[in-house]
Amino acid sequence: MNAKLKETILNPIFKGNPITVLVLGICSSLAVTVTLKGALVMTLSVIVVCGISSLILSLLRNTIPGRVRIIVQLVVVAMMVILVDQVLKSFEATYAIDKQLSVYIGLIITNCIVMGRIEAFALGNKPWPSFLDGVANGAGYGLILIIVAFFRELLGSGTLFGIDILNRFGYVPNNLVILPPFALILLGCIVWVQRSIQKDLQEK
Amino acid sequence: MNTNSNVYTIIYTTVIVVVVAALLAFVSQSLKDRQDANEKAETISQMLTAAQYGTKAELDQLSNSQKLDKYAEEIEKAIIIDLEGNVVKELEGIDVYNPKLLKRQNYNIKGGANATGEPELPVFIFRNGRTVVPIYGAGLWGPIWGYISFEPDKATMAGAYFDHESETAGLGAKIKDDPAFQAKFVGITAKFADANVVDLAKGGEIDAISGATMTSKGLDAAIDTWLGAYAKYFLNAEEE
Repeated sequence: MNAKLKETILNPIFKGNPITVLVLGICSSLAVTVTLKGALVMTLSVIVVCGISSLILSLLRNTIPGRVRIIVQLVVVAMMVILVDQVLKSFEATYAIDKQLSVYIGLIITNCIVMGRIEAFALGNKPWPSFLDGVANGAGYGLILIIVAFFRELLGSGTLFGIDILNRFGYVPNNLVILPPFALILLGCIVWVQRSIQKDLQEK
Repeated sequence: MNTNSNVYTIIYTTVIVVVVAALLAFVSQSLKDRQDANEKAETISQMLTAAQYGTKAELDQLSNSQKLDKYAEEIEKAIIIDLEGNVVKELEGIDVYNPKLLKRQNYNIKGGANATGEPELPVFIFRNGRTVVPIYGAGLWGPIWGYISFEPDKATMAGAYFDHESETAGLGAKIKDDPAFQAKFVGITAKFADANVVDLAKGGEIDAISGATMTSKGLDAAIDTWLGAYAKYFLNAEEE
């Protein structure tokens, strides 16, 4: 694998993370991080939507009329989101999760990461790198989601993936952690940690 | 080729929209059976929750087939009544009313251009003596529905479970997510002779949800409309 492709994959995971550096996709990261299971399903959904939409639009990139390109992007992304939602609704194992995530699966379409990467990368690059870029950005988004959800479920419910971890030691679940503002506080802490490691992000 | 000409743009967008629509229609049709089965099991668990066979979380531990089995085991009688409270027919097997069917009956109750006929109102009587009836109406962003159970006296509410399509998370969504809100219905007597069957309002008999005025009002209207339609059935049962 050449260096450029490697950069395409690794950059969104840490150095150019869509949530902590580009600050995209914040609203859903506050909403779906109450449980790890929800965050995991959301992560996989965004990876699939982001990767495949980028792939399809990169394949079409030389045929899309410039004046309606945003509309064409929207149609493709909306199609992928509906497909993911339909599939989640069809399986017993994911039906309850889909109900729990409710509107947020449908709202992946408004997740700035998806359209942002298509506009910035997929329309100007070959299909394979575009696909990897979409997947990597979905994964970078998901990584933050899972970190936040880990702390929120552990401290807010005393469980991980619904399995009791802290409650058996007499831990009283902290309801503040369940509320959305705490996700913002956690996100702030993650940005803080990242900026102290990655000095070039600090404003002079 | 000139990809910026008007003709090209129109043909291109038409083709892409038609292809996407066809694909989605195909996928939706092929997954329909599975989705319906999931929805049926979900509806059953909501009715069992209302009839106090356990909390929603406990019932969600069961698999789809276990939920169906539990329903078959616990149901005593499922009937369809009309607005006069007369039994029109009995429901055979596991025949539950999902939100789509409730929507149609909601039009029938209200009458008007969307009505397709006389209302067919389902009543589910469980072996623990409780009677479950559905409600359906409009929330703030989309439909809301639910199931209310009555004690054997057919007037005191024994439990309730509500669901919604797209109410605001943390506010209107509390009708579904907050067991404390649903618990407020327990022990309240429905006033079937009155237009305001259940008093759901700020500071009312059942306190509305703070920050979710429209959802609460929608739920109140849905309950009053539906329980109003069932009024004769329940009033007749009380007299007997």
